[in-house]
Amino acid sequence: MARARNRIAGIISVFGELLITAGLILGLFVVYSLWWTNVLADRAADKEGDQVRDHWAAPGPGALDTKDGIGFLHVPAFGDGEVLVKKGTDPKTLNNGVAGYYTEPVKSALPQDEQGNFTLAAHRDGHGAKFHNIHKLKAGDPIVFETKDTWYVYKVYETLPETTKFNVDVLQPVPKESGRTKPGRYITLTTCTPMYTSDYRYIVWGELERTEKVDAARTPPAELR
Amino acid sequence: MYGWIWRHLPGNAWVKALISVVLVLAVVYVLFQYVFPWAEPLLPFNDVTVDGQ
Repeated sequence: MARARNRIAGIISVFGELLITAGLILGLFVVYSLWWTNVLADRAADKEGDQVRDHWAAPGPGALDTKDGIGFLHVPAFGDGEVLVKKGTDPKTLNNGVAGYYTEPVKSALPQDEQGNFTLAAHRDGHGAKFHNIHKLKAGDPIVFETKDTWYVYKVYETLPETTKFNVDVLQPVPKESGRTKPGRYITLTTCTPMYTSDYRYIVWGELERTEKVDAARTPPAELR
Repeated sequence: MYGWIWRHLPGNAWVKALISVVLVLAVVYVLFQYVFPWAEPLLPFNDVTVDGQ
């Protein structure tokens, strides 16, 4: 009798310890997602960003080497810092703390193209969380893209705080849902929303306002000063 | 379970405590290095693209 009771108590205590362990592992997963992936991604992005800048500083051709990353996104509304932009939106690319331009399902235009939509995706949380503050972007805010020799200054004109992941039309060369009907030089930022989940997508549209040549000192345009 | 592990660790209490810390660190390392990176793409927290999939 006493033996059987001991056995039951033993099973219950092991079960309880397993529950505590599961709780600790879930807690660690949150730490991993929201902190550790940022550490790794920022480290990788800094290294790659330095490589791109070194590449730019070196003489010779190679203004647009899409393997390395094509330039840097500066968004004053996100706070300080810059976001390296690379080709592709597969998780492997985005997990390194960069923004990727779409190659599918709708191919992105590049900033220097005569017209089209420069479409970007980046993480909202974890992995650098480069678009974490996307909700702070309002109509009229500047988005600046820096390449080797040009600053592209875009102005936000429309945001879509919630849409489904199936809404690939937001990436069209002329994004009709943003209210524009004529071809132009647009930029589209996409990320997940609400924060910490990816039930929906958050979209921000901007339009090219002007370009500036990069000078020898790489003086940033007025929007970034 | 943990009591069983503790009883089967060698040495006095200090040695046991030290081994326990090392074991905990090893488990955290394996989780961060292998288990979480594997599990993450399977969970719906980090899909940022519109792709219709």
